Amino acid sequence: MCFGPFPLHQTMASRKESAASGSSPLETPVKQIQIDGLVVLKIIKHYQEEGQGSEVVQGVLLGLVVEDSLEITNCFPFPQHTEDDVDFDEVQYQMEMMRSLRHVNIDHLHVGWYQSTYYGSFVSRALLDSQFSYQHAIEESVVLIYDPIKTAQGSLCLKAYRLTPKLMEICKEKDFSPEGLKKACIGFEIMFEEVPIVIKNSHLINVLLLDLQEKSTVADKHELLNLSSSNHLEKSLQLLMDRVDDMNQDIGKYNTYCRNLSKQQQQKQQYLQRRQQENTQRQSRGEPPLPEEDISKMFKPPQAPPRMDTLLIAGQVNNYCQNIKEFTSQNLGKLFMAEALQGHSS
Amino acid sequence: HILIFYTVSDKQNRIKLINHNYLDLLLSDDEEDTKRVVRSAKDKRFEELTNLIKTIRNAMKIRDMAKCLEEFEQLCRAFLKSKTIMDKEGVPQFYIRLLADLEDYLNQLWEDKEGKKKMNKNNAKALSTLRQKIRKYNKDFETEIASYKEVQSCSPDAFTSSSGSDDDDDEGITAKSLLKKKPQEEEKKAPEASKFLKGAADEESESEDDEESEDWGSDSVDSGSESEDNEGAAASLAVVFLKKYDSRRKKHKKKERLEEEADEEAEAEEGGWEKVKGGAPMVKEKPKMFAKGTEINSAVVVKKLTEILQARGKKGTDRAAQIELLHALAGISNENNLGEGILIKIKFNIIASLYDYNPNLAAFMKPDMWKKCLECIDELMDILFANSNIFIGENIAEDSENLAISDQPFRVRGCILTLVERMDEEFTKIMQNTDPHSQEYVDNLKDEGRVCGIIDRLLQYLETKGSTEEVCRVYLRRIMHTYYKFDYKAHRRSLGLQGETKSEQDQEESEGEDSAVIMDRLCKFIYAKDRTDRIRTCAILCHIYHHALHSRWFQARDLMLMSHLQDNIQHADPPVQILYNRTMVQLGICAFRQGMIKDAHNALLDIQSSGRAKELLGQGLLMRNMQERNAEQEKIEKRRQVPFHMHINLELLECVYLVSAMLLEIPYMAAHEFDARRRMISKQFHHQLRVGERQPLLGPPESMREHVVAASKAMKMGDWRTCHSFIINEKMNSKVWDLFPETQCVREMLVRKIQEESLRTYLFTYSSVYDSISMETLSEMFELDLPTVHSIISKMIINEELMASLDQPTQTVVMHRTEPTSLQNMALQLAEKLGGLVENNERVFDLKQGVYGGYFNRDQRGGYQQKQGYHRGGYEHLSVTSKLLFTLFCGGSSQNALSLSSSKQLPSVDMKSVFLVWLVKLNVCVFLCLWLL
Repeated sequence: MCFGPFPLHQTMASRKESAASGSSPLETPVKQIQIDGLVVLKIIKHYQEEGQGSEVVQGVLLGLVVEDSLEITNCFPFPQHTEDDVDFDEVQYQMEMMRSLRHVNIDHLHVGWYQSTYYGSFVSRALLDSQFSYQHAIEESVVLIYDPIKTAQGSLCLKAYRLTPKLMEICKEKDFSPEGLKKACIGFEIMFEEVPIVIKNSHLINVLLLDLQEKSTVADKHELLNLSSSNHLEKSLQLLMDRVDDMNQDIGKYNTYCRNLSKQQQQKQQYLQRRQQENTQRQSRGEPPLPEEDISKMFKPPQAPPRMDTLLIAGQVNNYCQNIKEFTSQNLGKLFMAEALQGHSS
Repeated sequence: HILIFYTVSDKQNRIKLINHNYLDLLLSDDEEDTKRVVRSAKDKRFEELTNLIKTIRNAMKIRDMAKCLEEFEQLCRAFLKSKTIMDKEGVPQFYIRLLADLEDYLNQLWEDKEGKKKMNKNNAKALSTLRQKIRKYNKDFETEIASYKEVQSCSPDAFTSSSGSDDDDDEGITAKSLLKKKPQEEEKKAPEASKFLKGAADEESESEDDEESEDWGSDSVDSGSESEDNEGAAASLAVVFLKKYDSRRKKHKKKERLEEEADEEAEAEEGGWEKVKGGAPMVKEKPKMFAKGTEINSAVVVKKLTEILQARGKKGTDRAAQIELLHALAGISNENNLGEGILIKIKFNIIASLYDYNPNLAAFMKPDMWKKCLECIDELMDILFANSNIFIGENIAEDSENLAISDQPFRVRGCILTLVERMDEEFTKIMQNTDPHSQEYVDNLKDEGRVCGIIDRLLQYLETKGSTEEVCRVYLRRIMHTYYKFDYKAHRRSLGLQGETKSEQDQEESEGEDSAVIMDRLCKFIYAKDRTDRIRTCAILCHIYHHALHSRWFQARDLMLMSHLQDNIQHADPPVQILYNRTMVQLGICAFRQGMIKDAHNALLDIQSSGRAKELLGQGLLMRNMQERNAEQEKIEKRRQVPFHMHINLELLECVYLVSAMLLEIPYMAAHEFDARRRMISKQFHHQLRVGERQPLLGPPESMREHVVAASKAMKMGDWRTCHSFIINEKMNSKVWDLFPETQCVREMLVRKIQEESLRTYLFTYSSVYDSISMETLSEMFELDLPTVHSIISKMIINEELMASLDQPTQTVVMHRTEPTSLQNMALQLAEKLGGLVENNERVFDLKQGVYGGYFNRDQRGGYQQKQGYHRGGYEHLSVTSKLLFTLFCGGSSQNALSLSSSKQLPSVDMKSVFLVWLVKLNVCVFLCLWLL
């Protein structure tokens, strides 16, 4: 499940000013997102065609900012290519694609990217880096996360995320040390912000849909009442467990670091005390005090483990938990309903 | 020692030389001996010095001052070392000469300002230091140097060559240049020299030269050896002209001369011996040993023997010739009927010198030597058996021996037991050093019978005459030759197959005692009588091995347990440890044959888990890099190797281990599929499974391991038929199972075990899909009879491995379905992991508090903000954990509801307890969160 940072065209950076000027740069540039039905369908189709199992598909979102909402009007998938396909130039492909779309009079402004996910596992370093570079270059850009498994169960799951300004700052400074994160007061809850999504179709399409609705037979909605959910829950638990293991490891690392640090602190203190005592003794004897030595050189602080990964893991765990909670609460309702029905029928 | 042979092309010459050597040795008296020792020590020192001087001179030539300095320092040290000799002999001339030369040379260099400038820094520095040093040093030798310089100035021509000589200083002055430079010197030596040369070239004529060479030899006795390095002013002419020949010939000559010299000296002193004339220089030695007229009696022979033996162990002694000599002596004493005492004494010494033949411990005896040795020992035994009035023993003092024929019984010093033990060791060594796959090995192995025969005879002999310790030792030897052999006769007899198609010889053989009986008798004797721990340990181990080999599992096991060897074997020496390892392996294999799979696995676990079975059993060295083992260690390890015919088949061993691991591990794995803390029974087996899984393409199994892996896979599915076909088939039969004596029994046992364990695995794996299952079906499926199935299932139920009950009237197993589902299992695992997480987290918190707590109290205002941020940064885990637990709680309750609604059953007790744990944890977390924020 590896998704490399999605390459971003560098020329996009030049658009930063113009885009930023469209809305107030102080507040969040986008308060909501309006997605064309076409984009949703295209994303779903892309996954259906190329994604299997835990594999991830990615693509580019195109659109424009209108006041405080971001309208995503089109998208194109990013082709999957193998490692040995060295000649493939990603940037070239994007440019070509956007130029072609411009020719047919489609919005060609880069406003973000989308990615599919496997059981809600998308909070990762790669996503963070990728989104950071996007948001750094194009302030309004978002990442759309599409969960095909949930969608297959009957409820479309599409979510838009942006990095919070705090996280942007940290990423800019690249200071992931414990102190840095502490100063920034960042927790896993405020790393990503979700932007509400509105799906909007043109009137013509709406008309067509209504038309079709009448013509079509009643769609099967049995998925909604499906009770056999253990598979999903198991998978989620499995992933959750893996994350918990990772987290445990990270904490262990942090723990040793803390211990080493405190041990050193103690040593330093002792050393200073001794030095002080010696100096006072010397003073009483009328000798000059010992020369100051560079303490930081003598006690090199241990390498602090980067904490960003832990944060991300925590975020991911949080994500899983939410998923499971959502799922179980839904199921509980269903179960009670089923029980009632059973009781009623018997 | 000077008496070293140099290559002489003519064989006869060599033989002759050897003879000379002997005479020399034989006839030398003590005085001569001591003198020689002094000489050799002096030679050594002088050689060292001259070598150093040589390098100094070379360095001088190339103006390498640094080297010069270094060597000079070494020289000084070497000189100091040989101080004692110097005190006795005076400072050697060549040393003084070097000192003088060096000083002159240095002074010369020092004055040469131009040259000094050109020198590099290192050299210049070395030059100044060296100059100072030598100045100081030479003060001690002032007089000598002065006298040397005086001499030099008097006869400069004699030394020009030496100081300017291009050749090595070792040889000093090259003979040629000397000869050229000193033609005036004593011309009368010249003809002699040529004669001498002739003598060297043609040994036949040597005897004629004797008279003459005697002449000059006697007057140059001292010079020949003592002053050879002193080739300076004091060097005698003899040496000077000796230098004429190339070094090889020179030494050859010198040595020869020495021999002759010694010859004559001896003659002069002893007088009694007739002088050896080279007129008929035959290979035969006898006439030389005793003069024609000498009356050969035991005293003379003993004296002779001592003489021969005195040469033993000395550097120049030709060991082969010594053996010959002893044989000849034995012949003489036999001819003259000197009695058995003498003969035995000589025999003892012959055997000892046969053993001595190889100076190196690692080298093994040549076949002919070995044969000779065996014969000798046999003869010795014959004599001992024939004459019961001979006492031998190592504690009989040399002077209390009674070798002459008299009324008293013979008393001879010597220990036959040691000889036989040594012979046994030699035999092992021969076997170790023979290629085990060659015909030679088989041929050598045939000697084992003889070795055993000798040991048997010795055993009989010692049983009547020897002390208890000796008997113990010989018993152990006997045991060592018995324990690893499978007694087929006894085996056949026990099967009642005797006399079916056996030849007469076989019949005859089977008359003998069972090896088990022998082992029992010998070992018990050792247990009772032995006082050294080692022999008893070895005997016990061999006994166990023998028991195990013959499938007497309980005896073997009891003996092993009673001896408590497992506790203290690590203190034993490596050969005993190897024996212990062999015994354990044999025990394990025995347990396997008896169907005690668990015992077999336990016995083999230690050996197999290390992956060094080969090394641990002493059946070969593993390839390792040289850091871990240097050449010396390798040699030692090689000596410990067990001969090939005693090897335990490693493939059999591994197969037995893997199969028993499979029979244990597969049901265990099936039973503990979801157990987070499941431990492997056998790492090795898991490793093999993983290797098997990694294979990209799975063909039909080829090797033994692949077979076992394939069988394991089949067993995992409860498919015993496939498993059976993988474990027992043509390939496996030929590779492994046919190596057992009772092949058929083992195979039957294996099939039964496979059936049973497959049944267990099947029940573990698939019990969740059954509501109830008829035992009859099971018994059909696994081709086991009903009572067996019944007992297996009952056992599983009693051990709480299977949540089920037996319904007697219908003969069915009713499943209770209380095993947690996989989801529940996973939730349990997660809960466990979370517990760890919380614990870890608390540890972090403790640490933080310990360090920073005081700080927060002191600076409340600023601290608060920081604290909050710090909590956010550092304690995100905590809130996540609590959230997680809550989620799980929800998830769990939904599952509860699920099970409620579907099966209308109460959730199992353990689920409830898990919920409780969760609740407690949740509370703790919430409490912590509240407290922190």
